[in-house]
Amino acid sequence: MEGAGGGGSGGGSGVSYQRFPRVRIREMKDEYMKFELRDTDASMANALRRVMLSEVPTIAIDLVEIEVNSSVLNDEFIAHRLGLIPLCSERAMEMRFSRDCDACDGDGECPYCSIEFQLNVRCDSDQTLDVTSADLHCHDHRFLPVDVAQRALAAEAAGGYDAPEQRGIIIVKLRRGQELRLRAIARKGIGKDHAKWSPGATVTFMYEPEIHINEELMETLTHNEKLSWIESSPTKVFDLDPKTDQVIVADPEAYTYDEEVIKKAEAIGKPGLVEIYAREDSFIFTVESTGAIPAYQMVMNAIEVLKQKLDAVRLSDDIQDNDDQFGDLTRNIQGAAL
Amino acid sequence: MNAPDRYERFVVPEGTKKVSYERDTKIINAASFTVEREDHTIGNIVRMQLHRDPNVLFAGYKLPHPLQYKIIVRIHTTSQSSPMQAYNQAITDLDKELDYLKSAFEERISRKLRRVDMEY
Ligand SMILES: [Zn+2]
Repeated sequence: MEGAGGGGSGGGSGVSYQRFPRVRIREMKDEYMKFELRDTDASMANALRRVMLSEVPTIAIDLVEIEVNSSVLNDEFIAHRLGLIPLCSERAMEMRFSRDCDACDGDGECPYCSIEFQLNVRCDSDQTLDVTSADLHCHDHRFLPVDVAQRALAAEAAGGYDAPEQRGIIIVKLRRGQELRLRAIARKGIGKDHAKWSPGATVTFMYEPEIHINEELMETLTHNEKLSWIESSPTKVFDLDPKTDQVIVADPEAYTYDEEVIKKAEAIGKPGLVEIYAREDSFIFTVESTGAIPAYQMVMNAIEVLKQKLDAVRLSDDIQDNDDQFGDLTRNIQGAAL
Repeated sequence: MNAPDRYERFVVPEGTKKVSYERDTKIINAASFTVEREDHTIGNIVRMQLHRDPNVLFAGYKLPHPLQYKIIVRIHTTSQSSPMQAYNQAITDLDKELDYLKSAFEERISRKLRRVDMEY
């Protein structure tokens, strides 16, 4: 389509070999998305997957100052657990990395690169007290822990009632007399630095399978042979039409490229009963977010980040200018050799 | 204690060039590009895009060592082109493809979001 890749040689600049990928969204929820990506190749699909997992930025707690900790967990254990709590990161793309920020010294509250959280809990009863993500206090509500923000929304919808059994992500449990008091700084980061910054719970893609049944050969099978052939697939890819007794492809995407049906066909002396190809220009993506940013935003941000990466690897002008001089030189040498 | 900083994996150190170029001394129209602080993500898309260019006779990349945070892209072209021209073209084409993909996604997503609004 669009005549891309035709081109031919002819030299000179400006000949484009660009592709024009197509997208179809099958399902889109805040934390989950399934879509088809067509007319591109596995390198692009994989680049997007890799960027979503490890280079789309989010916000996570990165620095913890503990004032009092008389809990059973040591300071670094608690700091680690705080880091893993997903925070709402819708603003992450426009924020700065602390190491690039020139508006602060990088270890406190800063409007460009960091957010401060306070936690102050003490148990004074005989019942065990759970310290959870809901105890993390921050004056900026755009950076609440994901589960807290969601519960607030749900409570609003339910008329102000909060389910008591859902009280956030547990950080530590306290018994009578124990106390936890700390200050935490959340920063922008990427999954490549530490997995706590990855917005992706899982990001996968599969090649779209193309299944061709040899109908003529299939008709030479008895009803029971058909059934046992269908059963040979570990996932439910094929089915039997109850009316016509024909084998049909019930769900091509259930196929896991296990080749069991092909082996089965050979075992019953019917090689070529089915042919299955993986379409190399067509992918089905599944994106699951931790909730830090919505799944669709993860995809959009991945495209943006990949664009920025490509921009960064462009040749600088001075390299190109230097080479032009060399170019003349080599042309001269070449001329002499001829 | 003496562990290297984690950001060394993706922050180009001061005084280091992001991309450097080295012409092959024996083969005409062949060159290597060393790209600092990049990995398979960039290496593989650039290589595959270069393969779409009929003037590219060879294009490959390698990650020399998992603890050396750089990739080396090697390109050999016909006399109709040059490694530098092919490299630039590949990046431009990828960038345009992503622009196209971005607007395709934007359109699809806003359509989905509008539908969700209507359900409420
Ligand atoms: Zn700052």
